[in-house]
Amino acid sequence: MIAVPPQQRFEDAAAPSIDIGVHEKAVAALRDRERELSQLVDMVPSHVWRLKPDGEPTFFNKRMVDFLGLDVPDLSRPGMTRLAAMIEAAVHPDEAAAFADVLSRSIATGEPFSMRYRLRRADGVYRWMSSRAEAMRDQDGGIVQWYGLCHDIDDQMQADEALRQSREQLQETIDAVPIRIWSATSTGGPVYFNKRYRDYLRSVVARPEDLVEPRIDKLLQELVHPEDAPGVMRSLQDTSETGRGGVMRFRWREGDGVYRWAECRVEPRRDQGGTVVQWYGVSLDIEDEVQAQESLRDRERELSQLVDMVPIYLWRLTPDGEPNFANKRLIDFLGPGIIDANKPGTRRLAAFIEAAVHPDDAAGFGRALNRCFVTGESFSMKYRMRRADGVYRWMEGSAEPMRDQGGRIVQWYGLCRDINDQLHAEEALRGRERELSLLVDMIPSNLWRLTPDGETTLANKHMADFLGMDLADKRQLEVVFDTIFHPDDVAEVGDVLGRCLVTGDRFSMKYRLRRADGVYRWMSGRAEPMRDESGRIVQWFGLCHDIDDQVHAEEALRRASDQLARATQAASLAELSASIAHEVNQPLAAVVANSHACHRWLSADPPNIERAKITAERITRDANAAADVVSQIRALFRRTPHARVPEDVNRLIGEVCRLMADEIMAKDVRIKTTLESDLSSVALDRIQVQQVLVNLIRNGIEAMDGVVDGARALQIGSFRDGSDAIRVEVRDAGTGFNDAERVFEPFFTTKPHGMGMGLAICRSIVESHGGRLWTANNESHGATVAFTLPLTAREAS
Amino acid sequence: MSPREEIVFVVDDDARVREAIGELLESLGWRAETFAAASDYVASARPDLPACLILDVELPDINGLEFQAQLSHDVHPPIVFITGHGDIPSSVRAIKLGAVDFLTKPFSDADLMAAVQAAIALDREQRSERAELGALRQRYLDLTPREREVLPLVISGLLNKQAAAELGISEVTLQIHRRNVMQKMAAASLADLVRIAERLDIPITHSRRAGGVERERA
Repeated sequence: MIAVPPQQRFEDAAAPSIDIGVHEKAVAALRDRERELSQLVDMVPSHVWRLKPDGEPTFFNKRMVDFLGLDVPDLSRPGMTRLAAMIEAAVHPDEAAAFADVLSRSIATGEPFSMRYRLRRADGVYRWMSSRAEAMRDQDGGIVQWYGLCHDIDDQMQADEALRQSREQLQETIDAVPIRIWSATSTGGPVYFNKRYRDYLRSVVARPEDLVEPRIDKLLQELVHPEDAPGVMRSLQDTSETGRGGVMRFRWREGDGVYRWAECRVEPRRDQGGTVVQWYGVSLDIEDEVQAQESLRDRERELSQLVDMVPIYLWRLTPDGEPNFANKRLIDFLGPGIIDANKPGTRRLAAFIEAAVHPDDAAGFGRALNRCFVTGESFSMKYRMRRADGVYRWMEGSAEPMRDQGGRIVQWYGLCRDINDQLHAEEALRGRERELSLLVDMIPSNLWRLTPDGETTLANKHMADFLGMDLADKRQLEVVFDTIFHPDDVAEVGDVLGRCLVTGDRFSMKYRLRRADGVYRWMSGRAEPMRDESGRIVQWFGLCHDIDDQVHAEEALRRASDQLARATQAASLAELSASIAHEVNQPLAAVVANSHACHRWLSADPPNIERAKITAERITRDANAAADVVSQIRALFRRTPHARVPEDVNRLIGEVCRLMADEIMAKDVRIKTTLESDLSSVALDRIQVQQVLVNLIRNGIEAMDGVVDGARALQIGSFRDGSDAIRVEVRDAGTGFNDAERVFEPFFTTKPHGMGMGLAICRSIVESHGGRLWTANNESHGATVAFTLPLTAREAS
Repeated sequence: MSPREEIVFVVDDDARVREAIGELLESLGWRAETFAAASDYVASARPDLPACLILDVELPDINGLEFQAQLSHDVHPPIVFITGHGDIPSSVRAIKLGAVDFLTKPFSDADLMAAVQAAIALDREQRSERAELGALRQRYLDLTPREREVLPLVISGLLNKQAAAELGISEVTLQIHRRNVMQKMAAASLADLVRIAERLDIPITHSRRAGGVERERA
């Protein structure tokens, strides 16, 4: 750069030339000097020019002439000043007007001229120039000349421009990158923030004026998540103490108050001596990354949990079959140390198989797995695996290889499912099914099933055997009903079954079926529909069982019963006579004994007349009793009513009780009578009804022989039975009847010495009066015999 | 006619028959006690006199023949059965079991009297037999334990020497015991003692054999 304007020196040099004395010498010296100066002016690496006070150019130095390719004289153009011509020819059109203005103003005011503009080089290229001009004045201050200097700054301008552009770009970049950048002095003092950072701070910090000279620690306090702040502070301190860069991760607050994860990297810049000059930092928003990582971790945890929690056993093998993973469930199942057991000299898989697979399944398991390893086929097998407690459970295991893109097996993934319970359940089900099927087949009846249309769909083995049918032949089953019924029954069975199929009523009938050997046997067949929830008939289930023997037995029984009836008629005569003999014999024995006694008393010396009298009376009494029995029996057999006179039944009961007082006393029996008063009289045969009462009372007393003393109570009651009858009940507290109906059979007796005629005779007497006689066991103990007598005597037919 | 020191028990469920038989027996000079059932008879306190039991076969509580079987375990008066309809098998059975007679109702006073007399005579005999045996038993009970050991040896016919050896006592001591046994049992001779022992069911436990004494293997 030229510090002193050349025209100044030029002026200084010109001043002493006024000395005329040494003119020649001086002129020569002056010329030399002038040449020297002119040379100097031309050689200065700048353009030097001179203008007249009105602005007309008067001189260009050589360098300028060379640059422009013009000299002053070249500017003489008609109709325009040299200055205007110069401007037109050399100044860049963009600056021409300004150049003219500035120059004009300087010329007018005398102010120095200074301006940058582009000047056209001879080759037409414009180059930036920095130009200055100052006025040279005379002693009066009037402007004499303008001297100007202009030097080429084009290269410098270009460099500046490039630098400026580069800086702008850098700034733009710094502002544009989606990270926050900052720098600080080595002491952590005032910081620089990029635009993004500033924008962020402005949105977060309550008072933006704090940002003029913020302190890092203050910012941290305000921005970093309280949980992370201490850590960040420590890291920062550590960094500043050691002078080493660092990375921090922390959450900081965003404009909306939400904390986001950020990663901050700090690096120092050092001078050549290694001292930290500046700290640079970037802060990256890693929230999404953290979130992604977090969710990845969550997913991983979830997956791992899933793998452990799924109710299934999972495992993984290397391509050559070494177990390298088992889920928790499997480990728990096997117990510790099974899956990863290391046994010297044995492969881990082999050790595992030995330890965990049932000895019976181990060989097959190993073979199957090894085949899969060789062929790459999927593995699938059922086997027993040993649980930690030593119990073997059935498993269904399968495994698939995972291949890489080249098709090479990378891992084997396997799972096994505990099917022990299922197997047992299936086994139980199968067993049950077998059992049921067996039951259906073995049940000693014919079972069959029909569709709602009446087509046979099932027959059990028993039926098939009976009919001589081949169960395997479905066609036989379909037509089975067409041929098996007895010709006499087939039409009716068809009718009844057809009607049931239509109405849904239960089918039940007896018919004959043809057995395999052609024999027809009686069957009792039943069928009922099975309905679905809507009540529609789905199936008919039928059962028929062989009642042929039963039918024949019933016939035989009927025949036997008829024979028995006839036989009984014959036998009863003989038996009855024995019974009559007994009834008559007792009083006769008494009569005979008494008459002997009587004879003895009379024959005694002296004769005992008193005793003889007593015995004679007894003879009469007993003989009459015998005669009564005979006459009753005659009455019974004649079945002709004796004189039936109206009698009060209650009175009759009282009489009988008195008659039997002796017997009752002897047996220590309490008689309790419950007699309904005002009962109408009944026309009856006094002796017969008395006989009935005597019989019933005696039966009752005898029935209580085995009963403890005091509990022997006999209740006799009379009641009105409806509007037209009287009912008499004799209720004992004895042992009751084993068979309440058989007691009426002649000669049936529960007593060792009874003839079994009593109740039969009683019933026959009551029935001859038009009444009924029946027996029933009491609820607690003992039995009741009751009979009715109609108020209006009806003749029994 | 004053009643003899004899008694007849009658068991019959038919009051009329019971009454008539009682009457007949009394007219024949016996004291009679009647019962309607076997259990009543068993329950009654009966005088200790020569007696006869007239038993109806068809009793309300128990068959007369079964009752007879029950009674046979004990001392009881001889039985005369009476029945409304006698049959041969049951009469045979009754007689076999020791019944004196089996009368079918109605029966004559002579049949009854003969049967009752026979029964009471039998009872008298049995009673004196029992009394005699009772005396013998008492005498046996009066023996000392050692004398009771000596008795079977003596009646077995062992020589004093043998019996003494058997008991491990001297012959003299044995002779003293033997004499005491004879006296206490009121036996006039060895033969008498053997008879007494037989009635008392004292077994002969030894037999005399040439060459020594040997215990019988009973």
